Amino acid sequence: MTHALTRPRRVPPDEVLARLGEPEAMTKAKIFDRIDQYSRRFIAHSPFLAMATADAAGRADCTPRGDYPGFVKVLDERTLAIPDRPGNKIADSFRNLAENDGIGLLFLIPGVRETLRVNGRAYPTDEPDVLVRMQTEAKEPMLALVVEVAEVYLHCGRALIRSRLWDPASQALAAEIPSPGEMAIGQLGLDLDPKLIDSRLEAGYRELY
Amino acid sequence: MQLTILDRVDRVADGVVSLVLRGAAGELEPWEPGAHIDLALPNWLTRQYSLCGDPADRERYRIAVRHDPLSRGGSEYVHLFLRQGRPLEVSEPRNNFPLLPAPEYLFLAGGIGITPILPMLRAATRAGAAARLVYAGRSAATMPFTDELRSSYGDRVTVLAEDEHGRPDLAALAAGLSPRALVYCCGPAPMLAAAEAAFPAGRLHIERFRPTPRTFPPNTAFEVVCARSGRTVPVSPEESMLDALTYAGLPVASGCREGVCGSCELTVLDGEPEHRDDIGAPAGRMYACVSRARSPRLVVDL
Repeated sequence: MTHALTRPRRVPPDEVLARLGEPEAMTKAKIFDRIDQYSRRFIAHSPFLAMATADAAGRADCTPRGDYPGFVKVLDERTLAIPDRPGNKIADSFRNLAENDGIGLLFLIPGVRETLRVNGRAYPTDEPDVLVRMQTEAKEPMLALVVEVAEVYLHCGRALIRSRLWDPASQALAAEIPSPGEMAIGQLGLDLDPKLIDSRLEAGYRELY
Repeated sequence: MQLTILDRVDRVADGVVSLVLRGAAGELEPWEPGAHIDLALPNWLTRQYSLCGDPADRERYRIAVRHDPLSRGGSEYVHLFLRQGRPLEVSEPRNNFPLLPAPEYLFLAGGIGITPILPMLRAATRAGAAARLVYAGRSAATMPFTDELRSSYGDRVTVLAEDEHGRPDLAALAAGLSPRALVYCCGPAPMLAAAEAAFPAGRLHIERFRPTPRTFPPNTAFEVVCARSGRTVPVSPEESMLDALTYAGLPVASGCREGVCGSCELTVLDGEPEHRDDIGAPAGRMYACVSRARSPRLVVDL
């Protein structure tokens, strides 16, 4: 791998804003403070979101969450609940939220170029009336995240258009990526058959709930 | 599966909508009173709903759906997001609650449990049987089809709104039950439990929306031999037979995944199933979503 001789130049914040220019009035006007019927319909059809949190020192994480469309429940126009399905148990998001309850969500719907952004504050809950609504294959999550909504808005589709994210032909990219087992063996310097790790991972994927 | 078009959505009581599904290619599969369909929703969830229209109408199915405030995503979707004109896939009708011939019937319905009872009452009356309906609900405004029932059946229908009349006195109904009558009951779990306590088991037929909470012996591992494909699939204690078959590449249709709808019925050719469903599997059948095996091996027709 090559090393950059110098760090890339840092552009000061006011200069960044000056270069980008002012957003259109419309862009600002469509930032709402609650979930209206349109956002609710968007969330009800979204099977995937990216969730950003950071700890008190600003160390950030962004993690994926996904399930059937509508897996994020709208409790009222200011409140969402996200099920905490079994994952890697590292609990980055919960640890961050314990120190800093700010949260940013980006909802995606396959085939839709625009994304829905929701920002607010979040805390974990085990409220039975919330968890029962998340029952899937007769199993409830142990915990859910309650998100108190501060900002909701539709983000324009340019990034998804440029990325050809929903173009089926884009899936040819997957063939260029080593399997998780090959990555782990390379990264950890293990003397193992990568198929062993891949098949254990696949077996683990059978337990989704 | 059959393709339908959502023709009409009508609010028929507080928190209840009726949906009319028209066959996209003309006639739909026939059905008998007590039957239900799986409705595949756009949010990938499949839910079971009793058919409550007229079996003689071969072009349309009617169902009614109550918005459960603790919805797991089915009834909420139907109420908030389903739009008229949308194509929807439904299963062929299945009947776990068939109406057996009898000279007299007592029908008991609780709330949205009225749906399978509506066509039963119509069929029983047309067949010349002495049929009576006791229809209970939380309040009059939440009970669908009461006008339709009163105008068609008059005093053979008793409507009891709990906030005005209290709960039906099932013990009194049981005491006055004709020895020739069969009892059909569909409603919430407390009503079904009360009916099971009040009526003799041989004459009471019930249908559940949700499984009864029960405890089972610890899961054990077993093998499923699939006679048609020649495959043998191990089922570990941690997984359901349905999941094990699906992961092994032998997908079985499924619906509720909790032993009430009957979508995942399999024919058992050998071995002893341990039935954990709430349907009451007929001899030689089992429901792979919840049921397991007493014998180390099951042979199924798959």
